[in-house]
Amino acid sequence: MSRLEIYSPEGLRLDGRRWNELRRFESSINTHPHASDGSSYLEQGNNKIITLVKGPKEPNTRSQLDPNKATLRVTTNITQFSKFERSKSSHKNERRVLEIQTSLVRTFEKAIMLHIYPRTMIDIEVHVLQQDGGIMGSLINGITLALVDAGIAMWEYISGVTVGLYDTTPLLDVNSLEENAMSSVTLGVVGKSEKLSLLLVEDKIPLDRLESVLAIGIAGAHRIRDLMDQELRKHAKKRVKHASSN
Amino acid sequence: MSTSTVVPPRKRLSEGLTVTQKVFIRSRNGGATKIVREHYLRNDIPCLSKACDSCQEIVVPDASNQLPKFVLSELPQPLPNGIGKHYVVLDTNIILLAIDLLENPDCFFDVIVPQIVLDEVRNRSYPVYTRLRTLCRDSDDKKRFIVFHNEFNENTFITRRENETINDRNDRAIRKTCEWYASHLTKHGIKIVLVSNDRLNREAAQRKQENQAYVTKSLFEYVSLLPNAEDIKDLIPNTDSTELSDNKDEEGLSEFVFPEYYSTARIMGGIKNGVLYQGTIQISEYNFLEGSISLPRFSKPVLVVGQKNLNRAFNGDQVVVELLPESEWKAPSSIAMDSEHFDVNDNPDVDESEELTDKTNSIIISDKQRRLLARDAIHAQKSKKVQPTARVVAVTRRSWRQYVGQIAPSSVDLKNGGTQNVFVILMNKCLPKIRIRTRRAVELLDKRIVISVDSWPTTHKYPLGHFVRDLGGIETVEAETEALLLEHDVEYRPFSKKVLECLPKEGHDWKAPADLRDLEANSKDPLLKNRKDLRDRLICSIDPPGCVDIDDALHAKKLPNGNWEVGVHIADVTHFVKPGSAVDAEAASRGTSVYLVDKRIDMLPMLLGTDLCSLKPYVDRYAFSVIWELDDNADIVNVDFTKSVIRSREAFSYEQAQIRIDNLEQKDELTLGMRALLNFSIKLKNKRLAAGALNLASPEVKVHMDSETSDPGEVEIKKLLATNSLVEEFMLLANISVARKIYDAFPQTAMLRRHAAPPATNFEILNEMLQRRKGMSISLESSKALADSLDRCEDPKDPYFNTLVRIMSTRCMMAAQYFYSGAYSYPDFKHYGLAVDIYTHFTSPIRRYCDVVAHRQLAGAIGYEPLSLVHRDKHKMDMICRNINKRHRNAQFAGRASIEYYVGQVMRNNESTESGYVIKVFNNGIVVLVPKFGVEGLIRLENLTNDVNGAEYDEVEFKLSFKDKNSGKIRDVYVFDNVEVQVKSVLDPITSKRKAELLLK
Repeated sequence: MSRLEIYSPEGLRLDGRRWNELRRFESSINTHPHASDGSSYLEQGNNKIITLVKGPKEPNTRSQLDPNKATLRVTTNITQFSKFERSKSSHKNERRVLEIQTSLVRTFEKAIMLHIYPRTMIDIEVHVLQQDGGIMGSLINGITLALVDAGIAMWEYISGVTVGLYDTTPLLDVNSLEENAMSSVTLGVVGKSEKLSLLLVEDKIPLDRLESVLAIGIAGAHRIRDLMDQELRKHAKKRVKHASSN
Repeated sequence: MSTSTVVPPRKRLSEGLTVTQKVFIRSRNGGATKIVREHYLRNDIPCLSKACDSCQEIVVPDASNQLPKFVLSELPQPLPNGIGKHYVVLDTNIILLAIDLLENPDCFFDVIVPQIVLDEVRNRSYPVYTRLRTLCRDSDDKKRFIVFHNEFNENTFITRRENETINDRNDRAIRKTCEWYASHLTKHGIKIVLVSNDRLNREAAQRKQENQAYVTKSLFEYVSLLPNAEDIKDLIPNTDSTELSDNKDEEGLSEFVFPEYYSTARIMGGIKNGVLYQGTIQISEYNFLEGSISLPRFSKPVLVVGQKNLNRAFNGDQVVVELLPESEWKAPSSIAMDSEHFDVNDNPDVDESEELTDKTNSIIISDKQRRLLARDAIHAQKSKKVQPTARVVAVTRRSWRQYVGQIAPSSVDLKNGGTQNVFVILMNKCLPKIRIRTRRAVELLDKRIVISVDSWPTTHKYPLGHFVRDLGGIETVEAETEALLLEHDVEYRPFSKKVLECLPKEGHDWKAPADLRDLEANSKDPLLKNRKDLRDRLICSIDPPGCVDIDDALHAKKLPNGNWEVGVHIADVTHFVKPGSAVDAEAASRGTSVYLVDKRIDMLPMLLGTDLCSLKPYVDRYAFSVIWELDDNADIVNVDFTKSVIRSREAFSYEQAQIRIDNLEQKDELTLGMRALLNFSIKLKNKRLAAGALNLASPEVKVHMDSETSDPGEVEIKKLLATNSLVEEFMLLANISVARKIYDAFPQTAMLRRHAAPPATNFEILNEMLQRRKGMSISLESSKALADSLDRCEDPKDPYFNTLVRIMSTRCMMAAQYFYSGAYSYPDFKHYGLAVDIYTHFTSPIRRYCDVVAHRQLAGAIGYEPLSLVHRDKHKMDMICRNINKRHRNAQFAGRASIEYYVGQVMRNNESTESGYVIKVFNNGIVVLVPKFGVEGLIRLENLTNDVNGAEYDEVEFKLSFKDKNSGKIRDVYVFDNVEVQVKSVLDPITSKRKAELLLK
């Protein structure tokens, strides 16, 4: 068992954050304008993620065609060099990765107005360049940004964050060291509301503590939403200026 | 590990929060990995000094909305030599070296521990880290220790320079912290003193700053500055590297040199290749120069014989060993040897060199040959008498703690008033003498003292230690009691203020609510409505006379359908002891109450243990009840668990209860219930024995104390009444029922108790003795077979023989242990001694922590209240189990040692001749057990005969023949022989330990 001081009596975590602080959150959109319809690059702590959205476009196969709404597809590429130790497998058809993909599809099906794009497909490609815990939350944030960039109609932002529970203290936005040491919950929060489009609980967590965990998670997700919003508005201003000067 | 240092960029995130990257290289399994971690720097880390006003404004609350407490005093202790008021900053080496000194209440006030130091301490020694953390947590007003997170503070964080080693970088970080503190506090006139034994660090500090913003001192220099320096100097640890004396302890060196330990790399490689083995060394009780190690590859423990081969290992150390060549394999020695009588005349100042054969070093064996050797060794263990031997090549973990002992008078120079080296002989026979330096040698003669071991350099024949404190004169009750508590690591200090604050405010006036539906009471305790009112049941308790902590009470009631309702009610400790509270933490760490002859060390504070939880008669008490419906055969029809309120009608002693049951005049309902309970208990016992439960024995005695003078009076062998077994049977039944229930509810973390079947090898010697001497044998096929074969071991001429065999087989058994259910698979849950498939301890929560956990789990299982996380987490349960197993064992040993001491005191006054039994025969003596006092002792050959060389030892027949001292005739003594021995108590002149001395008549 690790003998790290996950949360010191003085109230500091392994990396120097306090319990309710997010990691460094930096994002940019429209990073790959030629390769996709919408793209984003996100750094959340040491998670580094490129997201590309292609679509709405004609489906590749007939099976992917739905006459009533668009089909959503998420492919995740977790690179072999994303962790400290280079992994041997390509992670392609791993159960864990497939599971991540399914939960991402479910999360965004409710947020995107799929019904206005019938008979099309929206293809989301995620490349994880580096990971350092709480990867699921970062994936959600990256996809939200890229979808907005692609101009796909959504009801609201979805912002994701992982919250750990260390003894009785909830810790916001866990990194990999913390994630390995305790049970954690990943939330996908709809806009500024308290609605969840995703609640991923893979470890045991006591029911009586869940409330405080969710509370800090939702607050953190709202903060992430604001950060994403800022970035988008900044980008939009630049685009508008660019367009008007032409 | 030099990297081309690229200084990681710092990036400002918001006001007061900056992020940078920590980059380092970790090598593991031969590969190197570059690790990059985020590292956040902040400006809201306070200095925690009461004098400072600027830090008050920057603090932020933590997750439970508490602001940090400012601890360091505004008026710290002043020092002479122009230093004045000061705070101390500690270096890592000081903490690792002198944690005892830091804990001393008379020195080290207002201490700052930089985070980097804390980290280094944690990596080097986790126990020291925990002690330091406790010190920081509990030393609010008196000692005032704080941790300063220098690594997260943007003012004190430094990046590693090119070509700088990590140690140099950390030393620089400590100095940076000192600088920051010094400049931060200059306006308040408080100086910073950096205490470090690292000369380079001190020099660097002096070089760096000409203006002397802060002072650096070595531990010795710092202590010399204190007003009470003279008292404290003795407590400074004794290592060769300290600059205590500049002449470098020349007297201590000698030609005697232990082999150096292997390097870590060689050990890792060796263990991987299978040529070195790691295990815990156990020093023989009878011979301190012989140890054994149980290794999974070998069916029997591997021997380590001789001082050189033991190579400075202490009893209980985790060591790495290497097999010796076949020519040096030996049979386990049949010689008894104590450290106290060995080399008595060694001079602590001049260690003479020892003539030990040192062939091992000259023989060089390749790895391949070693592996062949291992195969031979395993083979030899199975077939031959000769055992493979090994030698220690490294000690991976020391078991060093504080030890109790006394100064060997022969090593003291009475005329020398100054500092001198003396030997301390420890109470534990398995350990060597310790060399300490003290000024107070003469004063400390004839005192029990506590010492701590610091180091054992290769050039010293004996380990070096230092004096910690003195307990009082030898043979005084206080000193002996404290010594034995310390020796068995029993926490006996009074409960701290924080613990007492957790108790109910009403104190002794606390009352259970008269009506459980009372609204006011319900609003205070929302769980009250789940309690059942059982105050109408006729409940009574049966305990030993004078018992004040009554854990359990019973009742029986005839049901209309002809069955009986039988209830066992256990004190509801968990109502008062909530998980996570200070009293819970204290109880968990104590693990059990300890019962000494004249004293009880409680696990819970008196208020709970003897009043509020104790199921005293005539008052309402909360209880946890197990209620069965039993049919006439004592088969369980139904079982129910509930929290309840009860009122005990009477508290009986075993004898009173027996009298009441036997008195046929008594026909009241309570007595009828008790008779029914007795009947059921007999049926239950028969069932249990039929299933193969063992009836083992131990030579337990009880010491009667004179009630007025509290001098020990007489020794009595414990008697058992039918009522003893009445209570016991129902407790067993309750424990089993509860075990099933909590295992059902928490299959991974239920707190259980198991007793493994003994391996056949344990019984080999006993069986051989029985076979040879009596033509009997013990079968180990099953517990039933064992129980039956024990019953058959009868000697018609000697009724005690059966008990003797039982005592001896008890010693061959495995110890029962607590565990959490995830640790073993179901078939291994078995309790061998009781012959049940699953068992736990539930019935004595006042005196055992296991029961407290079982109570909480049962409460969770019946939905009374949700179970705390701590008891749902495998890792935490593992920690709890480990601790309570250790505490339980220590408590047993302490109890036995206490009885042994008092028996010694009784025998001191009356010398007598008693009958005893030979239980072991050695080459140079016999071990005799005297049932009347429950003592056993070694009778040395020298005391048996005048002609030591004429004695013959026959190991096949377990016989020692010698020429009798008194009659002059040849006498044969076999194992199991009944002999008359003269018992007297003598004070050993060297160890000043009183023990029974036996002499053959």
